[in-house]
Amino acid sequence: MELVDRYLQAVKLALPKRNQGDIIQELKDSILSQVEEREAALGRPLTEDELVEILRKMGSPARLASRYREQQGLIGPAAMPIYWKVLQAALGIAFLVQVIAAIVTAAAGRPLLMSLAPIFNYPSVAFTVFAWVTLSFAALHFFDGRIQVKDQWDPRHLPPVVKTKRGKSRIESLAALVISAIATVWWLAGLRNPWLIMGPGAAFLTFAPGWLKLYPLWIVMGVAEVARRAFEFARPTATRQRLLFSLVPRCLNLIALFFLVRAGELFVINPNNPALQQAIVAINYGTRLGLTIAAMSTLAKLLYDMWKLMAQRFEQAHQAAVGS
Amino acid sequence: MNPEVLENLRLELRRGCLIVAVLAELRTEQYGYTLRKSLTEHGIAIDEGTLYPLLRRLETQGLLASEWREQDKRNKRFYRLSSDGEVILAQLMIDWESMNSALDGILKDTGPKPPNPVEA
Repeated sequence: MELVDRYLQAVKLALPKRNQGDIIQELKDSILSQVEEREAALGRPLTEDELVEILRKMGSPARLASRYREQQGLIGPAAMPIYWKVLQAALGIAFLVQVIAAIVTAAAGRPLLMSLAPIFNYPSVAFTVFAWVTLSFAALHFFDGRIQVKDQWDPRHLPPVVKTKRGKSRIESLAALVISAIATVWWLAGLRNPWLIMGPGAAFLTFAPGWLKLYPLWIVMGVAEVARRAFEFARPTATRQRLLFSLVPRCLNLIALFFLVRAGELFVINPNNPALQQAIVAINYGTRLGLTIAAMSTLAKLLYDMWKLMAQRFEQAHQAAVGS
Repeated sequence: MNPEVLENLRLELRRGCLIVAVLAELRTEQYGYTLRKSLTEHGIAIDEGTLYPLLRRLETQGLLASEWREQDKRNKRFYRLSSDGEVILAQLMIDWESMNSALDGILKDTGPKPPNPVEA
């Protein structure tokens, strides 16, 4: 009955949050009742094709779930699943564009507040995107009568049941996405304006040139991290892809740490305020030691994740071989 | 003849009939699967994707009441007509009788019978 669980999982993801569990339990009972009746009539367990036929009659997960949604008058139930997907994608792309604009502004050496402006402007951009997408679908529905959507799908192509612990909620993923975007902009702006990172300490210390030499790498790392968080938000159940996606920022992080550890000085004394002359050697030594430990733990985690991915692939290949 | 127009008209005709049929069937308590079977046996085929959301809507409107109970080692959601639902069903049946006899009169007076009865 794994196919039934995969189907119900897909329906659940597309259902409104309210009464989700209740609806799924009712649908599960209905499917199992049909299966039992067919099996009793045939006197044998159903084949996969027969089970697929029952699920296909229920309708695609998106279509079935859309019927539980209210207020479909403006768009129409048939186009509603596509509308939600297009809206989510458009809002996600709009957010990424705003983040990239913020990163580029910060990279150009603009003040922090000016750099963050595109992110703060996102609500108005999101509203405009929402209005255009909704109006476009409403217009298509109004002028064309309906959008013809073929309900072509196959339960066998549904993603496997996620058996791991419940992942991050959408709110947590969204918070992580926004925080990573703000942190990226803050870091890029802070490298050029050390007081943003060091606070009053910037009067005594500043970053050595080695940090700024890596500036293009910091930009790429920021974009990769924000893209990873955006993917987590958009595809909360794609755990394998999420793991794959997390390797990119980790590799970049390792490269940055490698260059920093090899750099001579990490911090230099502000020539106008030489109060830390005695301590600078210890500060550089301590920071380098910390970066070395960070590099080693990043490398260990990277190797562990790569091994985990390879093990997953191997297990899938094994299952396919056994099933064939 | 535009088949899309016919299809839309049939859907409209069917929508109201389905609600009356579901309310009438639920004068006796049933769960979704047996209700669907019972409707099918009476000649009203309805798929799960239509029936279950309809039951939810009717319950939200206060016409149905439901409760979870265990039967055959599985939890099932049993639906029955609520007291408000009984009043509304009684009114709908009067309207149905009146509409049906009026329509009968019109169809007998004005022309040939339709070639096929509307499939439920």
